[in-house]
Amino acid sequence: MTISVSNLFVERSGKTVLRDVSFHIDKGEVYALLGGNGAGKSTTLLSLLGFIKPGKGQMHVLGENPETHPAKVRASVAYLPEAATLYPHLDAYENLEYFLGLAGFKVGQARLDEALDTVDLQQPARADRMESYSKGMRQKVAIALAVLRDAPVLLLDEPTSGLDPVAIDDFNRLVRSLAGDGRTILMVTHDVYGACQVANRIGLLRRGDMVGFFEAKAGQRIHTEHVHRAFAERAAV
Amino acid sequence: MNSMWLIAREEWRYWVRSRLARVSVLIFVGLIIASSLFSTLQTLDARHQRLHQQEVAEQTFLSQPARHPHRMVHYGHYAFRPPPPLAVFDPGIDVVTGQSIFLEGHRQNTAMFADARAQAKAGGFGILTPAMVYQILFPLLLIIIGHDIVAREREARTLAPLMGQGVTGITLYCGKALALLGLVGVLALPVLLVSVMSVLLGESIPAGLFLTLTYALFLTCWSALLLLVSFAFKTRGIILAVLMLFWLFGTLIIPRIAVATGDASFPTEGKILTDLRMKDDLREIGDGHNDADPTFSKLKAELLAQYNVGNVEDLPMNFRGVVASTAEARLTKTLNDYAEKRMERESRQSRIIRDFGALSPFLAVGHASKSIAGTDLKSHHRFLREAEVLRFGYVQALNEVHAGQIAYSDDINRSSDQGAEKRTRVDPENWRVLKQFRFETSGTNARLARAAPSLSFLTIWTLGLLGVGVLLARGASP
Repeated sequence: MTISVSNLFVERSGKTVLRDVSFHIDKGEVYALLGGNGAGKSTTLLSLLGFIKPGKGQMHVLGENPETHPAKVRASVAYLPEAATLYPHLDAYENLEYFLGLAGFKVGQARLDEALDTVDLQQPARADRMESYSKGMRQKVAIALAVLRDAPVLLLDEPTSGLDPVAIDDFNRLVRSLAGDGRTILMVTHDVYGACQVANRIGLLRRGDMVGFFEAKAGQRIHTEHVHRAFAERAAV
Repeated sequence: MNSMWLIAREEWRYWVRSRLARVSVLIFVGLIIASSLFSTLQTLDARHQRLHQQEVAEQTFLSQPARHPHRMVHYGHYAFRPPPPLAVFDPGIDVVTGQSIFLEGHRQNTAMFADARAQAKAGGFGILTPAMVYQILFPLLLIIIGHDIVAREREARTLAPLMGQGVTGITLYCGKALALLGLVGVLALPVLLVSVMSVLLGESIPAGLFLTLTYALFLTCWSALLLLVSFAFKTRGIILAVLMLFWLFGTLIIPRIAVATGDASFPTEGKILTDLRMKDDLREIGDGHNDADPTFSKLKAELLAQYNVGNVEDLPMNFRGVVASTAEARLTKTLNDYAEKRMERESRQSRIIRDFGALSPFLAVGHASKSIAGTDLKSHHRFLREAEVLRFGYVQALNEVHAGQIAYSDDINRSSDQGAEKRTRVDPENWRVLKQFRFETSGTNARLARAAPSLSFLTIWTLGLLGVGVLLARGASP
């Protein structure tokens, strides 16, 4: 089990934002946490990174407790925040070099290009400052960072929010490909269609409570219509 | 390269690429260059002029023809205070206190020709000294460039991926602090250059070095405040508001409260009232020009008894010269008492303002800067005292000539008897009693000792802000 969350309770500013949340993710799986605004999706990710201390419950990422060993957890996790902008005054190479340097990695130009090829970022754009990038291009660079770090775990916060349909398809393909390489991916989203396209399992969150769960049958995808109905009935705020 | 250096380097790359940072630095560097050039030219010219005028005044005095020594007492002399080399950077209170004094018998004149009274000719620009640019404007530059040093990361959502790479709050703090320290290093270059120039003009190396370090410490203090506020608050607007409030209080409000407190604690008597009271006291001393003044009858009796003669004409010295000398000594004692009381009051007021440096780094750096530059109140008081010693010295020496070289009978008849008048004219060689006067800045150790309390305040401020900043950074999260 790569990620396990058991009976998690989190309070922020005196308000309970996660209540008795439990799920687990195995290696090579894509797990989607679906929920509306204020459901507690991003709080779950920040808790797994050790940025938020839970009131009760247990969490483990690759066997490490993020509450007690946040540095170890962060070293093995690539985190893409919502609307990952990285640094607008840097180009793709500079951004990657900087973040990799902070994580203690040093890679050459060829390896950078290889990772950017993997995420299909066009060659001419790579030396442009990211202030000129579309959101989809920025997401690609952020994914390339995860690829370069060779992080076994990816935490993605609303990764397809604001992307055009073509970019979403590209992104979903990339996520499936990364999972196929053995990476464990937890993505939080309110995009039902996208979640069903890539996730092996889906959890529904509503105002801090886990209100539904779906699992894909072997070799199949989760049925969008079922999830959509459940989301509309139980999770949407 | 570890994360701290990477973060610092990245911050620098951001500043280099940021138009706001580039334009701000250009404007402020332009200001410091302009003010330094203006101040350097003005100070060097003033220094040259005053040293020259001091020589001219001495030559003029010495070249006076034979005449009655008391006429030379009234002819007078000038004492000039040339600005010390570091006045190029911080003219301090020199611009308001005046730099030359007309020295004459029976009077203690105030210093004249303060630049602040002649601002019109400089179009008001004369007040923008390099020290003022550093003390008032450079904190603003740091605020403009650095207020978003952490908030920018939050707003651009780069803080989460940054910390997601394993960067801790402390590392982030140290990296940003290192970037700001680099900026402080660059901003300290102009004061370093001016200090080097001052050393070439005769200033001591430790004084120049300490002035540079003082301003580097001041800017570091502001950088520590920037970091603390950046880690304490999340939004750019609030951070900017807090920093501007601090600047406003530290630079404008607390100094005014300090001055008001100093005035209220040790009120200064009005000049008219002081002059009237002094005149009353001086009246009791008697008129030194009139040997028949009853005030001197005791002196007369004592001298007659001492030399066992019946009248002043038989004394071995000119009684009028003795009276002039005695009156001058008494008058000077009274004037000095008033002057010392006034200077003591000013010093106490100044100490209160200095102690307000515990609340305002602006006041602390201002006091330390003036002390190190030798342009503080203490230096001005020393100038006044040394000028008074010069005045009293030559006046009394001339009174001795009066008493020793002129016959009493000639002295009392010189208005009616041309021959007597001629005989009361003494040889111009006697004018050499005037001592050469070259006002020098206090020694480096004395100046540094005066700056020590304010430097302590600045150090405590900086360490305190850094300490609290580190505590806040430990709990930093995206």
